[in-house]
Amino acid sequence: MNDQWTDRLSEYLDDELDQPQRAALEAHLAGCEVCTQTLAELRRVVGRAQGLDDRPPATDLWPGIATRIGVSTDDLARRRVRRISFTVPQLIAASIVLVAASAGVVWMLSRQEPVSAPVTSVPSSQARPVKWVARADSSGDHAVEELRLALQEGQRAGRLSPITVRKIEHSLAVIDSAIAEARRALEVDPNSDYLNSHLADTMRLKMQFLREANRIATAQT
Amino acid sequence: MLYFLVAVAALTQQDTDTSFAVRQGQRLEVNDFGGQVVIKAWRQNSIRIRASHGSRDYIRVSNVGSTISIGASSRHGPAMVDYELLVPAWLPLTVSGSPSAEVNIEGTDAEVSVETVEGSIRVVGGKGNVSLHTVEGSVELEGASGHIELNSVDGSIDVRDVSGEITAESVDGSITLLDIESADVDASSVDGSIEYDGTIKDGGRYRFQSHDGSVSVSVPERANVTVYVATFSGDFDSCFPVTLKDKTKHRFSFTLGTGTARLELESFDGSINLCRPGQIHQRED
Repeated sequence: MNDQWTDRLSEYLDDELDQPQRAALEAHLAGCEVCTQTLAELRRVVGRAQGLDDRPPATDLWPGIATRIGVSTDDLARRRVRRISFTVPQLIAASIVLVAASAGVVWMLSRQEPVSAPVTSVPSSQARPVKWVARADSSGDHAVEELRLALQEGQRAGRLSPITVRKIEHSLAVIDSAIAEARRALEVDPNSDYLNSHLADTMRLKMQFLREANRIATAQT
Repeated sequence: MLYFLVAVAALTQQDTDTSFAVRQGQRLEVNDFGGQVVIKAWRQNSIRIRASHGSRDYIRVSNVGSTISIGASSRHGPAMVDYELLVPAWLPLTVSGSPSAEVNIEGTDAEVSVETVEGSIRVVGGKGNVSLHTVEGSVELEGASGHIELNSVDGSIDVRDVSGEITAESVDGSITLLDIESADVDASSVDGSIEYDGTIKDGGRYRFQSHDGSVSVSVPERANVTVYVATFSGDFDSCFPVTLKDKTKHRFSFTLGTGTARLELESFDGSINLCRPGQIHQRED
């Protein structure tokens, strides 16, 4: 799921937004659970990156190599003082490239034609759930709880009728049922790119639905 | 800021009838808690408000910047009002009918944005950004052009004689797109069926996706399109012969003509039907 602010979060973290943009984004964050969670994840990434210790290796192999390939000790000294740093956008871009590359490799491997070499198949019951599904579930659970509270408040304030609340809950159940069906299908056929993308699409729809329903439930007349 | 109250309290149900001039560059916002909002285009550069409301309700009209706002309130909070507005066709419109107003707009030639919770939305006309969202109601759009976004959680979406980029989403309702002129259409529903009868343009992108519902699409005879079909446990049927390729367990594709357009048809466990224009209804009958 993406909105107009998602791409600005790294600039926000880097303090590169001007004051009006910053204020607008902060106002958006107050009502957008997804962006808030994304921002928190970015902060954790940056925190971990900044916390990395630039320790020398316990056993430095370089002097021996340098001797064998004839590199001077000056080069060795320059190598020791060199330090590479990345900005948040660079880190994010790198992580996206890494994820995309990993996904690409997995996708290509999963689509490879059968070869004559023996292949060991993993029973479907042993197939590990995809990590993003678990993470999306976690975000979804939180958003569902938020929506439940927002519906209660919307109904209490007279903004939503009991019928509307029931229909929203019913629609959420319809989406959940579709997700459950897609998951069961994936257990049978975990390498199906259609089923993977269908599950991802349905979960994206659920998050979008939750955000939209939450916005309607909390909207002031 | 211009701000005035149009109606004053009387003892019974009251009608308000007032007009004022507007100029190019302005836009209109209407907020109605419940009731009916009917907006019709006319040739004059002015807005006429006819409103039927409770005797203790007030119609508020304000002009902040370029935005004219019409709303109503009473001593006890938001008021339910039936509006009939006559507006210039060029006037961009934003209508919030939350939670229970029904919105009917006819003859507009400008941007339209409507949002309701319980009420249905019907728009004839619209140009540029046209955005219609409802939770429980149905959405009907006819004769619009531009960037079209339609969304209904529980109601159906019916679109006819529309051109431009179209996005339609529903959870529990069907989506019907007829007489469409577009190179970019994306329609998805979780539990509803999807029907498309319109152009398949060279280089265009068309995506129709349902989980539980059927997907029926017409493809003109001379279309140059590569069709990608995906289903888990649904059926595929075509009114005309096709040669399948790249067949896997849940997917296959085929090419018609030069195949420059891309048509994606997906239904997890519903049927997928391809026909020629005008044939889909015949088959369903």
